[in-house]
Formats: sequence, structure tokens, C-alpha cells
Amino acid sequence: MITDFIAMNGYGLYIWLSFGIVFISCAAVYLKAKKTLKKYENDFLDELQNLSVAEKNKALENSEVAQQIVAANSKIN
Amino acid sequence: MFKFFSSSNVYSLIQNLINFINSIFFLILIIGLTFALVLSPPDYIQGDSVRIMYVHVPAAWLGLACFSFITLLSILNFIFKIKNFYFINKSIAPIGLLFTCLAIITGSLWGQPTWGTWWAWDARLTSMFVLMLFYMFYILAFKLLNKEELIVKVSSIIAIIGSINLPIIKYSVEWWTTLHQPASIKIVGSSSIHSAMLLPLLAMLLVFLLYAALIFLMKYKTEIIRIKKKNIKRT
Repeated sequence: MITDFIAMNGYGLYIWLSFGIVFISCAAVYLKAKKTLKKYENDFLDELQNLSVAEKNKALENSEVAQQIVAANSKIN
Repeated sequence: MFKFFSSSNVYSLIQNLINFINSIFFLILIIGLTFALVLSPPDYIQGDSVRIMYVHVPAAWLGLACFSFITLLSILNFIFKIKNFYFINKSIAPIGLLFTCLAIITGSLWGQPTWGTWWAWDARLTSMFVLMLFYMFYILAFKLLNKEELIVKVSSIIAIIGSINLPIIKYSVEWWTTLHQPASIKIVGSSSIHSAMLLPLLAMLLVFLLYAALIFLMKYKTEIIRIKKKNIKRT
């Protein structure tokens, strides 16, 4: 039964290759997007760390997005 | 109303949407794949090879939809100079390119057992290939050009010229004799596809839509962070 399912009446190669290519490509794009997002978040936090305390406080005070990035990553002192 | 669209609200909305899609995606994927690979019947002529339709058709639809959306936003951006549209387009274009490439590859894999050939330069296949090229030019404009104003102009021109290809893709199977079959699903008029195949197709379309939304939100969030990083000392 499993062999029949994999063989798909002789079309297995084409079907599994199609689904496989779609799955692998989508997974690769997802991982790349996730990695890039993480890199930018870390870069942002590093940039924030490099500011003086006053500048850092001002940046956090004036930007709710900055607060959310910091809260989500909990990396800043 | 306008306060709702502030960057902090948009940012937290994006995060909530990403979490929501992540929580339901695998369930919808399993349902879609079960319908597509197990429950849907084989075609009376094409046999089981018709199952390729469940990835080929949603990919092609989304490839076309993304470019239509990019064109619309490019025109609006050209007229109203809304900077957000630039970032939205930049985030959508790679998704459109991915789906267009997948539609071409899976179409080729479907073509071999059905038509006896991997590729033919007929109207539908060629016009999809042209769409892929326009996506590449569009993305290259963002990669190669430096000035944002120039990128907006060049990418908008590419999108507007590329949009001429969209009705050609849609009507190519009616205007010319092609290997590709005519549309089985029509928004206006009766569709020739049986509900036993339509349901799995719609389930897989939902999977593709959720995936596209997830990647778009991640890329758009990346753009917001990039801008915030650039302006960190000005805030």
C-alpha cells in the first residue's frame, strides 16, 4: 500500500519531485528571511548598546518600536 | 485612525500576525497535503500526475497576484509618493519571484508526463518566463541602484512595463493555440473543475497564501528595523 502510494501509478517521480522542490525552496526562503531578520535585530541592539546612556534612554523613550525590539530580545542592559 | 497606523502599532501587529500564522501553519499544511496527495481523486485522463496541479496552480496564481499588487502600489507610489509602498513592494518582489519560478519548474515536471516534453516555447510558458525576467529586473533595481529616488523610478517603470505581460499570461491560452490547457476555474462563469479537486486546490492555495503572508511580514519587519537602525540617533 505504501509502495503504491509512493509510486503514484508511475507518476511518483514527477509528483514527489514537484512537492519536494516546492517544500525545499520555501523552507530555504523562510530560513533566509528568518536569519536576515535576526541579523537586523542584533545589529539594531548592538547599535543601541554603542550609544551613551543618555542617547540610549532618549532613543528608547522616543521609539516604541525600539522598546519592542529590546523587550522581544531582552538583550540590552 | 491615523494613530493606529503608527510604526509601533504596525510593528506589534506584524509580530502578532507572525505568531498567529506560525501557530496555525503546520495544521493547515498537513490538511492541504492530505487532501492533495491522499484524498483527491486521480484525473480520468492524466491519472495521478494531476496532483502536481495542487502546487503548480497556487504558485502561478500567487506569482501573478504579487506582480499585479506591485504594479498597483508602484502606480500609487508614483502619484502619491507614499514611502511605505516602496518597502511593501521590496518585501513582496522576492516572494513573487519564488512562486513564479516554482510555477515554471512544477509546470515543466507536469508537462513531461502529460505533453511528453519538459518545455515548449508556447504562449503561456513563454509569457510566464517573461514574468520571471521582469521579477529579476525589478529585484536587481533594488540591489544595483543606490539612491532611493532612482530605485523608486526605475522599479516603478519596470513594474508598469511588466504589467503589460499580465493580461498576455491570462489570455494566452485563448488567443493562441498552446500546449497549456485553458483555465478550469473562472471567477465569472461556471468552472469545469470537480469539487473533489477544487477543495484540495483551495486548501493548498490557503497554505501558499499563509506562507506568502509570513515571508512578507518577516521581510517587512526587517525593513522597519533597518530604517529604525538608520535613524536611531535622530529619534
